[in-house]
Amino acid sequence: MEQVYSQLEALGKSERRVAMATLIGTRGATPKKEGAKMWVGADGQVRGSVTIGGCVDAKVIAEAETVLSAGAARRLSMALGDEDAWEIGLSCGGTVELLVEPLDLEGALVRMYRRVAGEIEQGRAACLVRSLRDPAQSLLLLQGGESEGTLGTPELDRAAREIAFARGASRSETIAGEEAFFELHTPRPHLVLVGAGHISMPLVPLARTLGFRTTVIDARPRFANRERFPEVDEIKVGIASEIIGQIRLVPSTAVVLTVHDYKVEVPVLKAALASSAGYVGMLGNKRRGKAVLEMLREQGLSEEQLARVHVPLGLDIGAQSAAEIALSALGQIIAERGRGRE
Amino acid sequence: MIYGAVISEHYRRPRNQGALESPDAVHEGFNPLCGDRLRMEVKIEGGRIAAARFRGDACMVAIAAASLLTDFVRGLSIAEAAAFPREQLLAALEAPLRPSRLGCATLPLEVLRAALRERL
Repeated sequence: MEQVYSQLEALGKSERRVAMATLIGTRGATPKKEGAKMWVGADGQVRGSVTIGGCVDAKVIAEAETVLSAGAARRLSMALGDEDAWEIGLSCGGTVELLVEPLDLEGALVRMYRRVAGEIEQGRAACLVRSLRDPAQSLLLLQGGESEGTLGTPELDRAAREIAFARGASRSETIAGEEAFFELHTPRPHLVLVGAGHISMPLVPLARTLGFRTTVIDARPRFANRERFPEVDEIKVGIASEIIGQIRLVPSTAVVLTVHDYKVEVPVLKAALASSAGYVGMLGNKRRGKAVLEMLREQGLSEEQLARVHVPLGLDIGAQSAAEIALSALGQIIAERGRGRE
Repeated sequence: MIYGAVISEHYRRPRNQGALESPDAVHEGFNPLCGDRLRMEVKIEGGRIAAARFRGDACMVAIAAASLLTDFVRGLSIAEAAAFPREQLLAALEAPLRPSRLGCATLPLEVLRAALRERL
């Protein structure tokens, strides 16, 4: 999900009126999934995409102009395998359903997106539920239980609240006899790497490509520095077990220990396992892993906590090089995240 | 047991681990190669060490040495603590250490001396 508010903020600097297209339904093979967005400004700016920038996006731009002139939202259904697309060999074969609507940059919906951005910043998810019968009706539900707005009736709001976070993805649903689009906004995943050795080096650019925010922690400035990690978001040099306690470890956080040293692994794992981090993995073979887990067991950690540690970490792809190990680790992190959504 | 009972005991149950409220002297030091990193905090009252605490991620030898040292210096004057004999600390560990591990044992002493330097 794009960071909607930051896009709107940027558009607001140069555009007076903006149309927003939201992918609210897909059938068959489509390049983007529900929740993808595209913005078209009355003065010509285009941001985002609801496909991969092909014929559908071109049609959305044209539709956005109509919507801005009429001042009313429209729902569209488009087949990606239409004649024009086949002609140029770009067909994906699926069908997309879109909501295209004019946006008041000072209005309630944009204010809700601002609130969503604040929640994301705090590491919490938010779900914006849009009535598809009347897109002017929106209900913002926060992970902590707070809400803002309404879908029109208490019954609809209650039904939306019950299922808002259940599927872990944006989608359209029928609730209390009405169609609504559940737009789920989740924090950017965060990869915390403990250890600035050679395995962590390829992990950072690969993780960034996959949309992760990245942090590298190490006691040694000679290892944890910008020369070795030019793309990392954050480098923290110090006592790793203390630093890990200062980082917000939430379900969207993956903690990966590449440090390969018990003196750091034991206290860092202890801190990570006391948190709700979504993934905890440690580089090392089964024997080392068993020894470290035994030390943690002696320190009072439960079997349930210890079972969360992936050691050896990574998917079994026969990884040998540092880059291959990085790939297998990230593959496992993404697979675990997918399991959490099921 | 590789290092003997004293190191094992002080690693598993370190004394004086943690932080002090409003310490009078603080220093953090590390071994640039192995990555042992320790912070020492000292409370001084009437020119003497009232309390010393440490925290860090370090090997068994360094943690055990820090645990022993923070006990040894309590009650000493600042000058006495800063001059605490290296040999006495090594002997207290009651284990023959290879030359490559001597740096682990003396890291806490170096960090403590650096913390006290400004108070001398």
